Amino acid sequence: MADEKKPVETTGHQWDDDEGYPLKEYNNPLPKWWLYTFYATIVWAVIYWVFFPAWPTLSGFTKGTLGWSQYKQLDEEIATAKAAQKPFDDQLAKMSLKEISQDPRLLQYAISGGKAVFGDNCAPCHGSGGIGAKGFPTLVDDDWLYGGSLAAIHETIDSGRTGAMPAHLEAHDGSFNTAQVENLTDYVLSLSNQPHDAAQAFKGKALFNGEAGCNGCHGDLGNGSLKGTMEGEALEASVGAPNLTDGIWLYGGSRKAINQSIAKGRNGKMPAWGSGFEGFGRKLDPLSIKEVSLYVHTLSGGSF
Amino acid sequence: MKHDTIEKSIPLMSILVVLVISIGGLVEIVPLFYLDSVIEKVEGMRPYTPLELKGRDIYLREGCYNCHSQMIRPFRDETERYGHYSLAAESQYDHPFQWGSKRTGPDLARVGGKYSSLWHQEHMRRPRNLVPESVMPNYPWLEKNSLDYADIAKRMEVMQTIGVPYSASMIQNAVADLEAQAIPDSESDALLERYGDKVVLDDFDGDAKRITELDALVAYLQMLGTLVDFSAYTAQER
Ligand code: HEC
Ligand code: HEC
Ligand code: HEC
Repeated sequence: MADEKKPVETTGHQWDDDEGYPLKEYNNPLPKWWLYTFYATIVWAVIYWVFFPAWPTLSGFTKGTLGWSQYKQLDEEIATAKAAQKPFDDQLAKMSLKEISQDPRLLQYAISGGKAVFGDNCAPCHGSGGIGAKGFPTLVDDDWLYGGSLAAIHETIDSGRTGAMPAHLEAHDGSFNTAQVENLTDYVLSLSNQPHDAAQAFKGKALFNGEAGCNGCHGDLGNGSLKGTMEGEALEASVGAPNLTDGIWLYGGSRKAINQSIAKGRNGKMPAWGSGFEGFGRKLDPLSIKEVSLYVHTLSGGSF
Repeated sequence: MKHDTIEKSIPLMSILVVLVISIGGLVEIVPLFYLDSVIEKVEGMRPYTPLELKGRDIYLREGCYNCHSQMIRPFRDETERYGHYSLAAESQYDHPFQWGSKRTGPDLARVGGKYSSLWHQEHMRRPRNLVPESVMPNYPWLEKNSLDYADIAKRMEVMQTIGVPYSASMIQNAVADLEAQAIPDSESDALLERYGDKVVLDDFDGDAKRITELDALVAYLQMLGTLVDFSAYTAQER
């Protein structure tokens, strides 16, 4: 067929010509636009070699006349962002939490900064938006372990907290037997009006406010170290013993979970992010801690 | 040489193809082996402890790298989220390295110390307990399987042959060091002597009595990205 048309330039390479119709390799020129684009890329490459880091040498590499590097670019971007934030950041650094909370414009800036800090550092434990998870307290309600004032929240984040709920069962180095721990469990169940064995709970109550000394941390009424009292005296708020009467549980409110809490103890650890930093987690600068404190305060609907 | 000749000789064509392709390789790869600036000078790098090495093997076995990279790139969004960008020096004892390129989950290059071991236990058991929207699979068998570390010294010897600077005493005491790191309150002075004070000692799996696969994996995760002392590091000319 090709033979009938105008002859085309071939490479001269032929196969299979037994039947008189040899297979030939055409030598069509490349489309012009393609060819020139190809030449342009070669020229571009040469220009690039001059301006940007390119070729390895025996002792390093050619750095390019622009002196560009990925690392310098990163440093510049960070510097630009810092400079843009500086007017705000300088003001925030000087002001107390209370003062910031009274300046709507700065407050909004701080809260959006705090939200980013929270997403990167806190959300994995406290859930996105602070909804919490088993062992990691929710921050969206008004039930606090250590206090929901701006100052208390700031201190929690800056210095960290460790819940010290001792183990009580003998098998876990406590000083009570299985039956006594059962009695305590029934009493704790009764505090939040859950189904329980009244006779056992009665014995549990005596232990709670007596030999076991639970009231020293959870208060005579079991309503926690923030609200509770022991024999009329306020408790040490920094203990962080939860309110056991409100049906909000850190480790679960089932019989089994409560029993485990009492038998084995619990030691939830909130890392320190500021002055109390102990190499665990990531250290945040004072400004980020302020911002995230304000953000956490808004989560629980706290008004300023 | 005529086109015809090359086209009709498979051996000749293969040789030429290999030649052409290797030019790129030679220029891009060979300098990495002799240039000093490739591996930064840093303080703090050390080989994995025996427990971390086992943990790393489990990380590979479970295919965690299919969803997690260990390479923080020098971009502002990445350094703000994950911390200092990764240095080549940080994976110099990693064989094979775990840089990866797939991020279904977050980068793990600096996850060490970010969470408590308690968090990791709960997260490995069932990620959705902590992160309701997570698509990471559950790994409940890790806390059930006892860790098999009979071959730990052998594994360290193999690493030694490919350039990891394990000393004779590290290999000799591999089993003791592994147990010292995994069992809380055990005698750990010798371990710290060999590997440095930064070695994390913890009850990684929340079960003080047994050494499980979870112990090893969490020990590995808790050390990731924590070794280099960045206060002593200044980016060099690159
Ligand atoms: C490793 C997991 C973890 C991370 C990460 C974490 N927290 Fe916590 N946080 C806890 C635990 C556990 C507690 C409860 C401590 C206890 O049980 O006594 C807690 C308690 C708190 C409390 C006190 C709650 C109360 O009821 O009084 C606040 C506020 C808080 N965290 C804020 C933050 C902020 C802000 C961040 C990020 C900068 C953060 N947390 C990161 C684990 C974590
Ligand atoms: C030294 C102070 C202290 C004593 C004594 C103490 N607790 Fe606690 N308890 C705590 C703290 C702190 C927590 C929170 C633990 C955490 O944050 O990880 C807690 C947690 C609990 C919980 C889990 C609550 C939840 O929300 O999941 C229960 C149940 C409990 N305690 C019951 C008791 C009982 C019963 C006793 C007496 C046998 C007792 N506690 C004695 C401090 C104490
Ligand atoms: C199917 C993909 C997938 C696989 C496989 C996977 N992960 Fe994940 N991983 C994720 C996702 C998505 C997240 C983010 C949500 C979360 O925290 O669960 C995540 C989060 C994490 C985190 C928390 C990181 C951070 O900075 O918050 C750790 C640690 C982790 N994974 C470890 C592992 C380990 C170890 C393995 C292997 C045993 C593994 N993952 C396997 C998808 C995966």
